[in-house]
Amino acid sequence: MRAQFRFRIRLILGVVVCAALLILLRLYFIQIVYGDDYAQKADRQFASGGSGLFDRGSIYFTRKDGTPISAATLSSGFLVAINPQTLGDPEAAYAAISSAAPSAVMISHDAFLAAAAKRTQVYIEVAHHLSDGDGKALAAKAIPGVQILRERWRYYPGGELAAQSIGTVSFGSGDALAGQTGLEASYDGTLSRSGDALYKNFFAELFSNVGNLLVSAKDAREGDVVTTIEPEVQTRLEHDIAKVNAQYSSRESGGIIMDPATGAIIALTTFPAFDENNRQDIDPALLGNPLVEHVYEFGSIMKPLTMTSALDAGVITPETTYDDTGCIIVNMAKICNWDLKARGVIPMRQIIEQSLNVGASWVATQLGQEKFREYFTKMFGQKTGIDLPSEGHALLGNLSKPQQVGYDTASFGQGVAITPIQMIRAEGAIANGGVMVEPHLVNAIQLNSGITRSLDWSQTTPIFSAEAARETTDMMVALVDEKLQNGKAKIPTMSVAAKTGTAQLTDGHGGYYSNRFFHSFVGFFPAYNPRFIILLYTNDPQHVTYASETLDSTFLDLVHFLIDYYAVPPDRGLATTTPA
Amino acid sequence: MRNFSLHLPYSAVSLCAGAVGVLAVTYIGLIAVVMSYAALTVEFSQSVRNDETAVAGLESQYLAAMARITKTDYAAAGYAAPIAKVFVPAKSVTALR
Repeated sequence: MRAQFRFRIRLILGVVVCAALLILLRLYFIQIVYGDDYAQKADRQFASGGSGLFDRGSIYFTRKDGTPISAATLSSGFLVAINPQTLGDPEAAYAAISSAAPSAVMISHDAFLAAAAKRTQVYIEVAHHLSDGDGKALAAKAIPGVQILRERWRYYPGGELAAQSIGTVSFGSGDALAGQTGLEASYDGTLSRSGDALYKNFFAELFSNVGNLLVSAKDAREGDVVTTIEPEVQTRLEHDIAKVNAQYSSRESGGIIMDPATGAIIALTTFPAFDENNRQDIDPALLGNPLVEHVYEFGSIMKPLTMTSALDAGVITPETTYDDTGCIIVNMAKICNWDLKARGVIPMRQIIEQSLNVGASWVATQLGQEKFREYFTKMFGQKTGIDLPSEGHALLGNLSKPQQVGYDTASFGQGVAITPIQMIRAEGAIANGGVMVEPHLVNAIQLNSGITRSLDWSQTTPIFSAEAARETTDMMVALVDEKLQNGKAKIPTMSVAAKTGTAQLTDGHGGYYSNRFFHSFVGFFPAYNPRFIILLYTNDPQHVTYASETLDSTFLDLVHFLIDYYAVPPDRGLATTTPA
Repeated sequence: MRNFSLHLPYSAVSLCAGAVGVLAVTYIGLIAVVMSYAALTVEFSQSVRNDETAVAGLESQYLAAMARITKTDYAAAGYAAPIAKVFVPAKSVTALR
């Protein structure tokens, strides 16, 4: 009996061991030998790629109180497709679709009939962007050969608002929608979605990939983009820029409003712009962003930078004087003041206040070619690193040559070409105690994991001493208080620093037009602790010569708007009542 | 030493059949749960998307209203410009420059 029991126990043990060995063998083949095949099979079975609906993260404006407002988001609705093989009456189907979905983006009547005639095909999309209600109403009609399918698409609630900066999404070289311009392109890695996360099988993940279920690498990468653009300020800037462009029939106009201490761009625009939600017939050239891609000769707004460089280098002081002769000859080229008039012996501040080219040239000569090149290369020699694609390089070729005329003309903003974003960054150094900051549009990423990741834009580049910057600021404040609009622009309780610029346009043959100009305007306030710096320009305005005529009202309108909107406290206590 | 013998109330075949039955029911239940989970996920997701679309519509209205207000020509609407502006001076004398 005992021997029989032992035999049975050993038999059972043997069977168990054999079974275990077989299972081990099977596991070896499943996991090691054919592991990859099974993994792929499991993926196909349990974690297939969803329904193919478009998915993408949002881009937000940020109101002054911190409220995010969508700049780019997703809209969902339906698309309509036809099956020509089962479509009975194309005319009736077209009428039914167009009447049921009046707001849809639909192909023309002729194109619809041509599509319906393609009897060899079974699926042709004929209408997009149907609202939820329209789509369901059309589906309820159950028209033979007409399919109503879910669809999602990129939607820009602001339409034209900051269009060039927000950017566009379209099919590029691949077969997937991706960001092509603006922030859509710069942050494509954050905004794009792999598409299978939504429909993934929880249990399949639990058994096959528990690590991803708990800590997903995508959740640490994918998210929404939060910009520093304030929608109301952006709206105001766009309105003002469009008005200037229309008033003077300019070729183009643009503007940037930035916090000079942080580099956060609060608004930026160029005109003409385009409607992000309707890009069918727009000029492709409009899709780019001239504020970062194009270079311009800005004219006299360069003078404060020349002045600050010389003050910083110690070759002049605000009290230094020079003899202004009205015109000078340098390397056989004639350089004159805007009104061709001589001023005699005058101090440095008059160069800024009266915008004297001869004075700026004199300062450049005092600074010397090497120092001048050093300062300008520091300011404009590198890209700003702004988070927009295709940033352009400044053209500083004249500063590599020995002819003094190149430095003299550069001192008042001719002969060197700069991008607007480089220019506002450099001018921001005067406003920010001599330190250049990194201009940027995005300050945070809201990750899908729920974490908000702040971006680091704290890198600064010292250019001038704080004292040199303050001395130039004094000159720019004096310009606003005494010269701009003959002193009427002065705000008694707010110090505002500004400088106008008028540059002749190049004629494409190595010379300049005598009657075509590029106007620019830069200013910041409160002048000694600035919250905002504003750069404006208008290219080739008609029937007007000076920037003080075209852009001063726009600049002052923006200054007053920003003071009111942000309740900027007064920084000086002068007389309190002025005529309107 | 006492003899030891194992007496089971059911045969091994019956036990195995029972276990197979339980496993089959569990498997079917698991499939049902997975399918329900997937359906709910899609439904909730679509619900979120619909809400996002509605919010985007509201945001669009807000931005359009803002643009309309900005573009309003108050002179054309019959409002006159103020005859004088009164500025509030800084309270602190240290702000004087």
